[in-house]
Amino acid sequence: MADIPLVFEIGITAMAGALATIAGAAEDVESDIGSQGDPNSQVQLAPQMGYIHRIFNKAIAGEPPAWGLWITLGAGLAWAFMAMSMNPILAIILGCGITTFVQGVYSTTAYLGRTASLAKFGQPVYIDILKSMTTVTMAHAFVAIFATVSMCFLINTALGHPFPLPLLGLVWGIALGAAGSATGNPYYGKERQYQTQKFGAGVPIAASGNIVRYAEAGERNSLDNGFFTAKLAGPASGVCFGLIVFLEIWRTILFEPIGAGWGAIVVGVIMIIIFAAIDRYIEVWARKNYGPYTAPVAEASS
Amino acid sequence: MTVKIEVIQGGVPHNTILVKGLVASLVFIYLTYLNTLLPAGSPPYFAFFGGLAAVAALWWGSHTIKHLCSYGIGTGVPSAGMMSFGSGVIAMLLATQFGVGAPIVAVVLAAVIGAILGFVANNVLGMKIPVMIQSIIEMAIIGALVLMGLAALMTGGFTFQSLVTGASLPLAGILNVPNYMGSVIGGCLLAVAFMLGGIAIQHPFNACLGPNWTQDRMLILALECGFLSMLMAAIMSIGLIDTGAALISVIIAFLGWIYTYDLFFKLAKRDAAAWLDSKPIPEVEGH
Amino acid sequence: MTAIAAKPASGASLNPVASGIGIVVLIILIGIMYAIGGQIALIALIGIIVGGLLIAFGVHFVPVGGAPAAMGQAPGIATGVAMLAAGAGLAGLFGGAWAWAVQTNPDLLVAVITGGVGGGLMMAITCFFVNFIYIFGMGIPAASGKVKVDPLTGDTQPEFKSQGTEGHGLPFISFVGGVIGGIFGGAGGTLIYLMLLNVYQEVLPKMTVFDKAGAAGVLPIAISLAGIFAVGMFLINAVLAAYNITGTIEGPHDPKFKRFPRALIASAIASGLCGVAALAIVFVPV
Repeated sequence: MADIPLVFEIGITAMAGALATIAGAAEDVESDIGSQGDPNSQVQLAPQMGYIHRIFNKAIAGEPPAWGLWITLGAGLAWAFMAMSMNPILAIILGCGITTFVQGVYSTTAYLGRTASLAKFGQPVYIDILKSMTTVTMAHAFVAIFATVSMCFLINTALGHPFPLPLLGLVWGIALGAAGSATGNPYYGKERQYQTQKFGAGVPIAASGNIVRYAEAGERNSLDNGFFTAKLAGPASGVCFGLIVFLEIWRTILFEPIGAGWGAIVVGVIMIIIFAAIDRYIEVWARKNYGPYTAPVAEASS
Repeated sequence: MTVKIEVIQGGVPHNTILVKGLVASLVFIYLTYLNTLLPAGSPPYFAFFGGLAAVAALWWGSHTIKHLCSYGIGTGVPSAGMMSFGSGVIAMLLATQFGVGAPIVAVVLAAVIGAILGFVANNVLGMKIPVMIQSIIEMAIIGALVLMGLAALMTGGFTFQSLVTGASLPLAGILNVPNYMGSVIGGCLLAVAFMLGGIAIQHPFNACLGPNWTQDRMLILALECGFLSMLMAAIMSIGLIDTGAALISVIIAFLGWIYTYDLFFKLAKRDAAAWLDSKPIPEVEGH
Repeated sequence: MTAIAAKPASGASLNPVASGIGIVVLIILIGIMYAIGGQIALIALIGIIVGGLLIAFGVHFVPVGGAPAAMGQAPGIATGVAMLAAGAGLAGLFGGAWAWAVQTNPDLLVAVITGGVGGGLMMAITCFFVNFIYIFGMGIPAASGKVKVDPLTGDTQPEFKSQGTEGHGLPFISFVGGVIGGIFGGAGGTLIYLMLLNVYQEVLPKMTVFDKAGAAGVLPIAISLAGIFAVGMFLINAVLAAYNITGTIEGPHDPKFKRFPRALIASAIASGLCGVAALAIVFVPV
């Protein structure tokens, strides 16, 4: 990276951060429409409690491993197409397109498999759900896969990271799934599935399975959940993953040459302390403004 | 889910699946060795057998996962698949150094690694799950065989030599130096095979779990996942081996995938409570 | 659901016989490694075992609530522990490997710490956004279900726990635990990668397969092999640690945290075993 102008590297860093932000947002909305990740347990539980629903139930795997596969596969296919002397942009688009096809196939088999196994509780398979939700999740998945694979390509080619493209895909795919599920899941799981429960409190364990099944008009399907989570959980996941990628590259590009590598470490520690301080601030802010649920008790009486 | 998923009733016993999967997988991997018997310089037309080996191993693997996860291992089903391939990749790469004996060595090494990991999980970590050691041994073997099969599909061979030999097309533009960067290991396509297998092994059980789990439906889904993974590896192999040989793999994988995907739809329709298109939520008594 | 019902079943008890057998196996493995690879392999193997221990120890710090956390029923991050730790650790590996590659005279300590800080940074951002969503998206303050007082800040917890739940969000101790877990994970992953990379760079050019390549030619092979082995060993250690804490944990203040000694023994054996196999690939070419 010595002979590349610094301005160019900073531009690529910003570009990678922006791509990661798009990827994080699309990833979270995709998994919320598909009820992938932890809120899936409630979609699975509801029919057993007698609440038959029309929500998409796409249990491919947890989000990190599933996204690990999509991004690694997209990167691997793009790599293979580039090895056939194909233009990189075309190779990435083609690779991501084929990966989206795989994602769609896995989505259909996951929905059919889970729903057919719930026959005992009378949960029917809705073919219209399969047709309309799968295509929408595929569209979101394409955005996320394309953005992340492009980001990995930039990191590898323009910034000179030593890892080959598929390995970078594996690293950032798992990180994307981890960041997206950590940030986005509670918002979909609590705030949307249990909209009728008290606001500003966790879902009581006794209410488990009683998910909202009716919409403003008619019966709720997962596209309604997509509209809702796209307002906060998606963008927040995007900013989360974007910051992770941006700060990680930024500290290496700018501060790695300082002090034989200690510069990047010091900057990283400072960033951790800043995030800890903001986190502590909002935690105290919430305690003050939202207040306790019950009167403080000296001994554990509850 | 704390609910213990019921033990397998009826159906094919696990040991039958184990033996069939292991033998089929090994035979298919060895069939790729036919490539070396072809006249020198001819394309590796038998590479597709590697993909079939991966399909057979994944078919067996889905049932092993079912066998193990019936006990409630405390964390998700996917993590078992990751462990399987984490130990499998280590055994498989070491085994590739043993030339023609590689598949057998891979099975033995994976069994040893799996046995020690299973002992550690069961006894040191105190999980005390009766099938733990056997299942982790099986999963490590499956991980190694799937990776070796997919690697053989992508390169036409299963030795270390073929895994590090680069693409015939010049990627870096330097012709007199062997192009190690454009190989399965150098380009880290192994990472793709790792994730393809890691998801395909756990998906059939993860997607079919529930009170109405049926064995034939899960096993067909395992074949479907296997052929889908094979299809993807076959597409990637176009960049590494002769296009004609790669296209044979693509066509076989695609036909296998279409057939099993269609069959899975039929079986899901058979097992589902109802098969509705644009219908409202049915009225259930009491709600 | 499991998280709520699960009580520490076997506690922190160690099985002395099994642990003893395991440690004997480990010593045998180290001996085998020295016999076939000499000093360079021995040093690398010890580094790999230390890396594995860092990963397994780090996973115990990461606050993970699993499915109940997604409903605000239990504190922690709403995802699986093994994969969250992998996400942080691999992000650290990304930084550590890069730091090693860009320096002309790379220093092992600097690269490992850079990897650790990378993992810690990833967890700091993720944990902050978890609290952000809980507080500004759902209006729920953080509360721990396992302790009455946050040991770091002294904040009382039970009255901030909403009715019918085990707590929610990430109290500050869990945030700090997450960051520490990320640091250990990132450092461990980087250490394993660099140990393997050094041996491969040293030995691969001498192998007959690579007779024409030279050190620069085998570099992609060395990086890829070390990278995929590091990922594989990371996943094995993270899953074993996840088995040890049975899926969910709140952080260093959780009673389950006390189970870590047996995870360290397990991880030392597993890392030693995988390390021997991963290093042997360059020492036993037939």
